[in-house]
Amino acid sequence: MFIHSKSLFQARDLLWAWTTRNIQARYQQSALGWLWAIVQPGAQVIIFTLIFTRFVPIDTGSIPYPVFSFVAVTPWTFLAASLTDMSQALVANMNLVNKIYFPREVLPIAAMLARLLDFGVAVCLLVLLMLYYRAPAYPAGWLFLPVILIIQLALILGLGLASAAANVFFRDVQSLLTLGLQVWFYACPIIYPATMVPEPIRPFYFLNPMAGVIEAYRDVLLNGRLPGNYLIISAGMALGIFVIGYWFFKRVEFQFADII
Amino acid sequence: MKTTIRFEHVFKQYRLGLTRTSLPGVISGWFKSLGKRTANEFPGERKFWALQDVSFELKQGESLALIGANGAGKTTILKLLANITRPTSGFINIDGRLSALIELGAGFHPDLTGRENIFLNGTILGLSRKQIADRYDEIVAFSEIEQFIDTPVKRYSSGMAVRLGFAVASCIQPEILLVDEVLAVGDASFQQKCLHRIHSLIDNGTSIIFVSHNFYLVQAACRTALYLEMGQVKHFGETKEIIDHYEEDLHQARSRRFTTSDPKHYEEEGGNLEITKVEVWGANGLTSDFVPNTHSAQIRIHYHAYKAAGRVQVSVFIRRSDGLTCCTMRTKLDGYEISLNSGEGIVSLYVEPLQLVTGTYFAEAWFLNESDSMAIVSKGGRSDWFSIKGQGLSYDNNNGVFEPHTRWSHHAGLLDSSRSRSQE
Repeated sequence: MFIHSKSLFQARDLLWAWTTRNIQARYQQSALGWLWAIVQPGAQVIIFTLIFTRFVPIDTGSIPYPVFSFVAVTPWTFLAASLTDMSQALVANMNLVNKIYFPREVLPIAAMLARLLDFGVAVCLLVLLMLYYRAPAYPAGWLFLPVILIIQLALILGLGLASAAANVFFRDVQSLLTLGLQVWFYACPIIYPATMVPEPIRPFYFLNPMAGVIEAYRDVLLNGRLPGNYLIISAGMALGIFVIGYWFFKRVEFQFADII
Repeated sequence: MKTTIRFEHVFKQYRLGLTRTSLPGVISGWFKSLGKRTANEFPGERKFWALQDVSFELKQGESLALIGANGAGKTTILKLLANITRPTSGFINIDGRLSALIELGAGFHPDLTGRENIFLNGTILGLSRKQIADRYDEIVAFSEIEQFIDTPVKRYSSGMAVRLGFAVASCIQPEILLVDEVLAVGDASFQQKCLHRIHSLIDNGTSIIFVSHNFYLVQAACRTALYLEMGQVKHFGETKEIIDHYEEDLHQARSRRFTTSDPKHYEEEGGNLEITKVEVWGANGLTSDFVPNTHSAQIRIHYHAYKAAGRVQVSVFIRRSDGLTCCTMRTKLDGYEISLNSGEGIVSLYVEPLQLVTGTYFAEAWFLNESDSMAIVSKGGRSDWFSIKGQGLSYDNNNGVFEPHTRWSHHAGLLDSSRSRSQE
């Protein structure tokens, strides 16, 4: 894996060029442009707020529902959009994969980095919401944010690289991913607080690394407390997924051009 | 001098007919293969050896042409060298920075401008942004598309795209350059420019592997050639010699196809009539040198009829070195009748003059049934290669085939159409 990261480092200019290209291509002929980065999660949060405060009220303690769900929807949208784009990154660029050599992981990783920009834009809105709802300032906890982000990136990279590679062999992966994301959404504390998870399931709940990531963001940004031990479990899972995903990708990399 | 490319006993197998890319199909395939104890193999799939036991070496500053029919494995070799795919078995060693021009516009993104694509393509070929910026002006100058540099590449003509592609691939001073059949797209002057560039790269120690069906380019660019047939090396040697081998085989394949088109007929009537020799005569005798295309030429078909063949028609083709049929001449079309008794003889065809462009050609002759021009009564015969010298300087397949007798005139000012007609 060290060898891989070295060739990836040498390809950093390509990674940068391809990321910019993804961003340009996405916004080139769109009227709202980067605003889509907040329109989509924003609309989701408005719907959730309507349903879960008026129709089926969910107890979120002292935290107002809009900011409660937005702090979770933002990283979730980043994950879901990244995985969707990454799974298509190789298949959509088959003429490149077929005709020229470069480290293949550049394509899916650039797809993720392009989504990272959207994530950044959404985070700006999150900050405004936090100010508006007077979320507690908790600088000591904010030091944890990079750690949580790294765990999330490792998770996205592992899954994204694996699904990009698998999609070359079986296009079912794309449909499977859409389905998987739907199920996964409800397995994460996005619309409900983790405290509502039934007691018998709770020991296993944070084996889902995204549950840990979201709960950690919420703890640090809204609850004003450090993430609990659950984050260690999530970090371990995310790291495992990353290693396996990357390993799988590099193992089958040389079959891409023959199969695509 | 160091060896930049080593290719040792390389085999490459592709799976064909692998249509089962859906999960249920694959799982059932696995179960079936479990039963047969042949793991990793899908039942019913065909395998295809794209390369079998191919070995060659290339040193610094050497150039090699890959020659062969479509599907002979030329592009597979390039893809293996470019690390796009890996051999099934065998050993490949590459020593040096490699730049590959495998397909038109590979590495270009249609929505980005020429300028953005230079940077994108350059980084794909392994350069840093700064290295590209240093060479940027040279690349643009070489590609001759200054005024379109900020236009999206999707609006480029194929000629413009290949100019840009070659400019990027060759300006990064690669130690190994792979060029697939792309230069054919460019116009004549650009091809010349590319040849100059290729020569100067070779002089500076770049190793070049070149694939083209344009034998003029191949001969001009490469000293040695590898002739591939069905994934195997058929001949290896000096380019000229290899091209001759290849063209000879092409010709034979063509006559086989011709004669097997109506085997019954041929068995009945063929074998009794043989074309022993086809010669092309210029004004000064049998052609050994150029035939000027303003002079007349004579094509002589020597035959031997073992028994009287009766009325036949003769068909003569002139074909260019790349296989293009330039013209067809038939006794029947010209209203000329031939009746053959047994014995030997010569049929002569006078072409006055042979208005073809500069190039290498051969003549091919057939005896056909008088009433049925699809029925062959003799095996075809062909002449040696002969060269035609026209006004055009270069051997260039993009200049057309025909060089008519021309006359120009020029009238300055507005023309009264009735007056101009009367002046003609």
